[in-house]
Amino acid sequence: MFASISSAVLFGAEGNRVTVEVHVGKGLPAFHLVGLPDESIRESRDRVRAAVSTSDFEWPDTKITVNLAPSPHRKTGSGLDLAIAVGVLVAAGDLPTNSVAGLGFIGEVGLDGSVRAVPGVAPMVGALGDADVVVPVDNAREARVAASGRVRLVSTLRELASVLLGDSPWPEFALGEPDDPPALIADLADVRGQPLARHAVEIAAAGGHHTLFVGPPGSGKTMLAARLPGLLPDLDRAGALESTMVHSAAGELLPPGGLVTRPPFRAPHHTSSMVALVGGGSHSLRPGEISLAHRGVLFLDEIGEFAPAVLDGLRQPLEEGVIRVARANSHAVLPADFMLAAAMNPCPCGGGPPGECRCDGAALRRYARRLSGPLLDRFDLRVPVHRPAVDDLVSGEPGEPTVAVAERVRAARALALDRQGVLNARLVPRALDELAPLDSAASAELRRRIELDQLSGRGYHRVRRVARTIADLADAGRSTISADDVALALQMRKTFTRRARSSHVA
Amino acid sequence: MTAAELPEAAAHDDALDEAKFVGRTSDAGVSAGGASEGGLPPAAFVAALAGFDRMTVRRLHSLLAIGDPRLAFALAAGRERPVGPLASMLARDVGLAARWREQSRVRSPVRCWQQCLDAGVDVIVADDPRFPPQLLNDPAPPAALFVRGDPGVLDARRVGIVGTRNATQRGLETAARFGHELAQQGVVVVSGLARGIDGAAHRGALAADAAPVAAVVGNGPDVPYPREHAALWHEVACRGVLLSEWPPGTPPARFRFPMRNRILAALCEVLVVVESRDKGGGLITAREALDRNVQVMAVPGSLQTLAASGTNRLLRDGAAPATDTDEILAALGLDGRRAGRARFDPRPLPRGRDALIIDRCAARARSIDEIVNDFGLSLADGAMTLARLEQQGWLRETGGWFETVGHWDDLA
Repeated sequence: MFASISSAVLFGAEGNRVTVEVHVGKGLPAFHLVGLPDESIRESRDRVRAAVSTSDFEWPDTKITVNLAPSPHRKTGSGLDLAIAVGVLVAAGDLPTNSVAGLGFIGEVGLDGSVRAVPGVAPMVGALGDADVVVPVDNAREARVAASGRVRLVSTLRELASVLLGDSPWPEFALGEPDDPPALIADLADVRGQPLARHAVEIAAAGGHHTLFVGPPGSGKTMLAARLPGLLPDLDRAGALESTMVHSAAGELLPPGGLVTRPPFRAPHHTSSMVALVGGGSHSLRPGEISLAHRGVLFLDEIGEFAPAVLDGLRQPLEEGVIRVARANSHAVLPADFMLAAAMNPCPCGGGPPGECRCDGAALRRYARRLSGPLLDRFDLRVPVHRPAVDDLVSGEPGEPTVAVAERVRAARALALDRQGVLNARLVPRALDELAPLDSAASAELRRRIELDQLSGRGYHRVRRVARTIADLADAGRSTISADDVALALQMRKTFTRRARSSHVA
Repeated sequence: MTAAELPEAAAHDDALDEAKFVGRTSDAGVSAGGASEGGLPPAAFVAALAGFDRMTVRRLHSLLAIGDPRLAFALAAGRERPVGPLASMLARDVGLAARWREQSRVRSPVRCWQQCLDAGVDVIVADDPRFPPQLLNDPAPPAALFVRGDPGVLDARRVGIVGTRNATQRGLETAARFGHELAQQGVVVVSGLARGIDGAAHRGALAADAAPVAAVVGNGPDVPYPREHAALWHEVACRGVLLSEWPPGTPPARFRFPMRNRILAALCEVLVVVESRDKGGGLITAREALDRNVQVMAVPGSLQTLAASGTNRLLRDGAAPATDTDEILAALGLDGRRAGRARFDPRPLPRGRDALIIDRCAARARSIDEIVNDFGLSLADGAMTLARLEQQGWLRETGGWFETVGHWDDLA
């Protein structure tokens, strides 16, 4: 007459445990679904009824009430189908009550009784704790990554019922060995010449610095940015799990092994909406691009073309490493600890050496206004990228490959984490004096720049962080920052507005 | 307007104030041709007419040919019946008469004259003795000039210096140096007060503090454009003359700049184009100059510099090269008179590799990538060297490009 089945729904990048209570009692034939289901769950009534019938069970012609507890939270997604179907069969007496004890069910059912994959299985399985979970066979790998109990796989409701009735053992499915991860396509060896830009990519990877590439079309900004994730080390276990949860929740294709082990690279188009970028939308609050880039690289090509409101939406996550998406009756905290890489042209016409720009002053001012000062300030590295020399492009030697550079990056990151527990980009100004002391020449150079008004107070700290990374990469044992390091860091922190000449008359 | 009327124009200031006062209290000034217009000098009517919508240089000429601006205004406003060529001019263009009737209310001579007075602008028409004689026999002379400063400075020797707004550092410095050295010889530098070469030439000339300067602008003489040149405009008006074909309050517009160039060209004895693109305004000025038998000189530039493509073409087409101020002075017939002292260059003399780097950045702008490649430096060494040379004042960096700086940089 009554059944209580464990399942879970997705909320943001987290699973919430849901208990599906089914009561089959006297009354006119009806099927009620309560406990704040949204439209997608309401539709499961029709799917479940058909699936139960086509799986050779009698649909109980009495009053059926399904309650989704806890009832105050709105629930969404088709992953509760399987739990409801099993609940109805147990409550109707078709399946023994003790057969479902200690099991959680996740999956969507088809009208023919097949069990289909749903997005977000990894966080949902995680929410079920130590229980054994029953999931669609297509969700097998991500479920295994997140589960602490056993993972049972089913492909049809009929199959599941016969296991629960004790007629057959849990079916085994040949999943095949996960393929080797695909060879890294974006290799730094493809970048020829351009020593400054190459080194900037290395510094960005080693220190976790947000980076803006500024250069004319065809100078290779996108190519450089795409080589950033290849330089980053594999994700640690915690990071890989966090990233996998987000990818699973967003319904993104997961790597063959089920676990996201490489830092993700996301490059949303500049027409992307605010919701697409920061997350939100339906009741499940789908993770946005910044969460999918968690522990990886978010690359905004043509950053000036993004809507200003969208860009300003990035400021809080850049500061806190998470994004809080709030709606009227719910709010979710999604991970968003990413490295920001961006590219833009120096001016509307594309620019080039002095004297080649064809833009007038008003167009330049409009272009400069597209990026707000506070956002521009978040970039530790603002690197000019020039078109590579023709010789380098046609006949030059291939550059140093990613493998070699990644090794230096790994060493520098390990050094920073040993020394201060965070990457250099995260050093607070207070710690800089102790961890990145300047020698007298370096100090004098920075002082001069500040006096010339070429460096702001905040820029001063940013340059010191970058200089720390440069020193770590150059010579692991050195504790003080030299003038060389500072000079190079300053070369990588340019302003790109054409200098305004005062009309002051001498 | 005749010379005898000039003091009268000044004397009318009081009358105008009074008229305004009357107008404000009794509404008498609102009626067309009201009492307030009675006391205005003829120049006020020229100023009003010149700013009419759909007014062209030719139409203004026809109107002013009547001889009495007051009558011309009344005709344009439809208060008097036009006869002869004016009647056919108004009839030929549909809606022109109606448009001008409307304009005569918007641009009342009282208001326009007040604008001139506020901005310190004189109105000069062709029969005024102050009208620049170079423009009298011009193929396309302006009908009226709006002037700040003293138009008499145009009696001196005059050299025009023009060029692109998007100039290289070398171009800017060349313009400033020519401006400075010409001014030291008492030559009036004529230019357009635009961004880039024009502004640099004027700054150089003013810094010499030895000769007045002249500027021809493409909008109202009281509307500084570009805005960052506001102080420079003022300086030019105070220490020379600022001319415009357009009445005070006229905003900048693309079509007016080429028209301005013909007046600029007509006022020069020699025109020097410092840097210009293939289709730049500098080339338009050069063509206008050639039409008026004004000698055109051009500064040779690197073949790799887009900003010099137009000037190099001028040279190919037969313009005289201007590589030194002496050459320009020779073209004026003033050669050998140059006696000014050379400017002192306080920068430490570069040696060895530094000198080579400065040399390389002088040919064209270089990126740090090119410098470290060419000299086999490490990135850190390259960054250090460039930063040091920048600090010493030998290089200047814009958007990652390094250019060599001459010692005229402070004026450019």
